[in-house]
Amino acid sequence: MKSRLLLLPLAPLALTAPAYAVTYLTVEQAQTLMFEGHSLARDFRTLTAEQMQAIEKDSGVRVTNPNLAAWRDDSGDYFLLDQVIGKHEVINYALALDATGVVRQLEILDYHESYGGEVHLPAWRRQFVGKKHGSPVELDKDIKNISGATLSCGHVTEGVRRLLSTYAIVLAPRIG
Amino acid sequence: MRSFSRPELVERARPLLGTYVTARVSANSARSAHAAIDRAFEAMAEVHRLMSFHEAASEVTQLNRCAVRAAVRVHPHTFHVLRSAARLSRLSAGAFDISVGGRLVEWGMLPAPSTDLHPDPAASFRDIVLLPERHVRFHRRLWIDLGGIAKGYAVDRGIAALRACGVTRAAINAGGDLRILGRGTERVCLKTAERYPQAHATIELQGSAAVATSCGYPTRWPHGIVWRTCHVAGARGEAVDPRLTASVVARSCLIADALTKIILIQRAAAANLVRSLRAEAYLHRPDVAGSQWDAIGVSP
Repeated sequence: MKSRLLLLPLAPLALTAPAYAVTYLTVEQAQTLMFEGHSLARDFRTLTAEQMQAIEKDSGVRVTNPNLAAWRDDSGDYFLLDQVIGKHEVINYALALDATGVVRQLEILDYHESYGGEVHLPAWRRQFVGKKHGSPVELDKDIKNISGATLSCGHVTEGVRRLLSTYAIVLAPRIG
Repeated sequence: MRSFSRPELVERARPLLGTYVTARVSANSARSAHAAIDRAFEAMAEVHRLMSFHEAASEVTQLNRCAVRAAVRVHPHTFHVLRSAARLSRLSAGAFDISVGGRLVEWGMLPAPSTDLHPDPAASFRDIVLLPERHVRFHRRLWIDLGGIAKGYAVDRGIAALRACGVTRAAINAGGDLRILGRGTERVCLKTAERYPQAHATIELQGSAAVATSCGYPTRWPHGIVWRTCHVAGARGEAVDPRLTASVVARSCLIADALTKIILIQRAAAANLVRSLRAEAYLHRPDVAGSQWDAIGVSP
């Protein structure tokens, strides 16, 4: 084991605050990954005020967006697209539910960090701006690894709870 | 047709282990990279299911509810982490102690498990007894929390799953606890507790290694008038200084993860332990003018 600590100087003109952002999968890539061999049909919904209230009551999570981005496959499975906004981050993610509403897979599509108002943004964050999945980058050469204190994934966990209530109240097939 | 001469780079992320876990894999095809990442996420999710303090069905919850009454048989993964934790507790004279669950519940950082057995204030890691056939018994009422070690172990399991798929270049990062697979020089940027750092601290590594970082900033919590971190100095039961940041380079992420807590508590006094585990540690102390990094257990 041989490591070395380097203190790299801050860029002197880092006065604007572009946020650290990374895209893992596009919507199309996530759909291919999660529904390989199945065709998905758009099933977008607009939630009524009553539905939004019912979802909030059921999940305990605030519903701010009435637009539900949903796709359905031939066997009744759903692909749902959702966004959660934390104190420091905005995350788009995709959830695959089977025909009984059980979570089959979850993939984070992108992650954007925001540091409202802070201008002394470390320059190394800027290297991520514009980097997309599939860009011709060498592993770990263009994108560096980051080690720091753990960030909680609580907002995505809450988002999933909200989507499961949304499924039960809005999308689930009615029996009888 | 797509050429397979150029390796495909795939990076994906999932919420796991209470944080965001990313897996980055370079493989001959995107399909094989995705398949390997699926296996790595499965391996890490298994560690989460077994060792989460929050999950009612986890083995940790089962131990916290039952192990004081009767021996509980656990999965080989759980037993491995408990055995590693016991070794690190002994080596650090109790600075690392997984019996701190009760204190973290008291501070409001973990939810209380549903049991009427409340922890004995005198309990410590010495009351966790590892028996043959992977049985575990507590000699006093206590709640274990593997939050200081299981994430690192999960990263090790994820890397093992990737290797089993034939992957030779990859990185898994579980909210700052990361491990790199591959040859060559790698750089890892460290986030410290400092709001306005004066420089970018970067660890340069040669080849495969694990790096973990623990600091106070994002996890400190108002408790009375004292700002606490989620890290408890085991032997004293006190919170560690939230301004400190400790980064550890080690062969396994389990060792790196656990050692960060020992460094936050023992600081330079842990140098021999760091060396004996063939690790290297860096401690950031912003209270020193000009932002000070101390190398601990690093040969000059």
